[in-house]
Amino acid sequence: MLSIDNLHVSVEGRPILKGLSLAVKPGEVHAIMGPNGAGKSTLASVLAGREGYEVIEGEVVFEGQNLLEMAPEERSHAGVFLAFQYPVEIPGVSMIQFLRAALNAHRAAKGLEPLDTSDLMALLREKAALLKLDPSFLSRSVNEGFSGGERKRAEIFQMAVLDPKLVIMDETDSGLDIDALRVVSEAVNALRSPGRAFVIITHYYRILQYIRPDFVHILADGRIVRSGGAELALELEEKGYEPLLNPA
Amino acid sequence: MASTLTQDKLSLEAGASHLTNLFRALRDAQVIPSPLRSKSHQWVSDADLLTLFTEQALKEDWKYTPMDFFRYAWDYVPFQTEPLHIASQSAFSSKSPLSLAEVERIEALRSFPEPLSPWEALLSGIPAQLHYRLVDGERLAFTLRNPGSLSAQLITVSLPAHAEAEIGFSIKGEGFSLLRFHLHLGEGAQLRLYYLSEDGSESTYRYLILTSYLEKNASIATYDFTTEVGWKRSEYRVRLAGEGASAHLHGAAYVREHALVDTAIRVEHFAPHTESNQLFKSLVQAKGRSAFQGRIFVDRVAQKTNAYQSHKALLIAPTAVAYSRPQLEIFADDVRCTHGVTTGFLQGDMLMYLRARGIPEPTARQMLYRAFLTEVVEKVPEVSLRSWIDNRLSDVIGAQS
Repeated sequence: MLSIDNLHVSVEGRPILKGLSLAVKPGEVHAIMGPNGAGKSTLASVLAGREGYEVIEGEVVFEGQNLLEMAPEERSHAGVFLAFQYPVEIPGVSMIQFLRAALNAHRAAKGLEPLDTSDLMALLREKAALLKLDPSFLSRSVNEGFSGGERKRAEIFQMAVLDPKLVIMDETDSGLDIDALRVVSEAVNALRSPGRAFVIITHYYRILQYIRPDFVHILADGRIVRSGGAELALELEEKGYEPLLNPA
Repeated sequence: MASTLTQDKLSLEAGASHLTNLFRALRDAQVIPSPLRSKSHQWVSDADLLTLFTEQALKEDWKYTPMDFFRYAWDYVPFQTEPLHIASQSAFSSKSPLSLAEVERIEALRSFPEPLSPWEALLSGIPAQLHYRLVDGERLAFTLRNPGSLSAQLITVSLPAHAEAEIGFSIKGEGFSLLRFHLHLGEGAQLRLYYLSEDGSESTYRYLILTSYLEKNASIATYDFTTEVGWKRSEYRVRLAGEGASAHLHGAAYVREHALVDTAIRVEHFAPHTESNQLFKSLVQAKGRSAFQGRIFVDRVAQKTNAYQSHKALLIAPTAVAYSRPQLEIFADDVRCTHGVTTGFLQGDMLMYLRARGIPEPTARQMLYRAFLTEVVEKVPEVSLRSWIDNRLSDVIGAQS
């Protein structure tokens, strides 16, 4: 589904990713862990198509398409979803307007007619119920005045509505207390399916206690230095990054 | 009060040449044939005009629009004394103007303020006048269509104590309109005024002077929406004369390419426990200009004043220009006065967020432009009017950007 091969990325002339490779198959959950400055958020931003990142070398292929040549909206239409680390507030755009525009753009890309209002509302209510969200939040402006937990839940809600094939979660656990983390994790687990893959980028082990990964990769200095199963995350939790990065 | 002379020469010159270009374009487009000035239709003499042009700089310390641009207008358009054409009063119940005998007793005329500028004085002397006294629950509506030349109108409205009323003012078409509004609100009276400036072109020039006088616990709310004009200047002067009076002024402008929207406000707190709020937003296209000047004056007796002012401009292109000039003039010590001004471009992270969810960039931009003005639109209390304004702005933004 996703194949990253020898990816080198610079930000303002400074190399951040230095030959990262990763292969993700449908249904798999990959965790990418690493210390601060390892390049975790750069990876998420490059996959989503954020401006300001220069790809020096390597390629990213998503379902046979060169992802790096696609505009952010095209990546979304193809089925890539980034759950932002810091979802931005957009005053004056309601969640309904926002999701209507997003859904209809997805449908247009597939040659489908726009959804009518009653179908749209039925879909939104159904997904909100799945995530135990109060439907009143649909009429609020996007992320405006949302707490940290609400914002992350809203990200997962958008994911449920847009039904992507590949989900990249950029430190979704940061800033969440234990209760919010549990709610978000349960929502993600509810959305796991054989056709959908997850790449969970995180600093901490704790989210992986709730969302059990198939593979854990350690990202350090722009490359994946170790890969393993879920037990690798536990090892990290016990020993820290230091002994894994600099074995005696 | 002594006026301070801090003229911004550069802006004045820029503004003057901008307007000269507008007038040339107007003439070249032959929207208004020239020369059309008719001596018989003059209501001001050449000598009066000269005074206007030379005096105006002294009366106001800064003005983005140099009023001597009328010198150029003079060559191209006729000055008429006919009132603006009232095309319809369909949306609201209509109200006939007062008869001459009644005019003698209208409170609004007694509260008419001393003119601050020669232009105010000029517009107060307009022969075309309409006077109204509204009763509780009344709604007065005008749809004006510019007659395609320069025309002027003075309208006074008085609202008796404890009455609640609404005025809708929609102005359309090309040419010049000079409009002077004076409102008198009796004790506890409440008035909402909508000024919708739309359906114009680069050959549309609108000059509004609105003065109002508020007695104890009276409250006024104004909503000024602009979509398609070449040039528009709105001057507001609100005097909170009675204790507990309040004013809420709102404005949202979509400033088209080459257009200029200029707003000047003076809110005067002359009694304790008075409150005022200004919320204005401008969305400025390439080569468009927005100018905003808002002054809050607090007299020494006006303790416990609560005043706020906000002007935000969003520039669509690097060639768009916004001037903001917030001013506080406070002579009382126990007051709360704040202001906020921002000018800038669309935030890249908002655009990225929408695009990352699959919304194409042009649509995402339109959504964000519209959202920028939504904060003001949402203040409109009446649902049907709010959605009409919202749709109108969306249409214009969708068609232009």
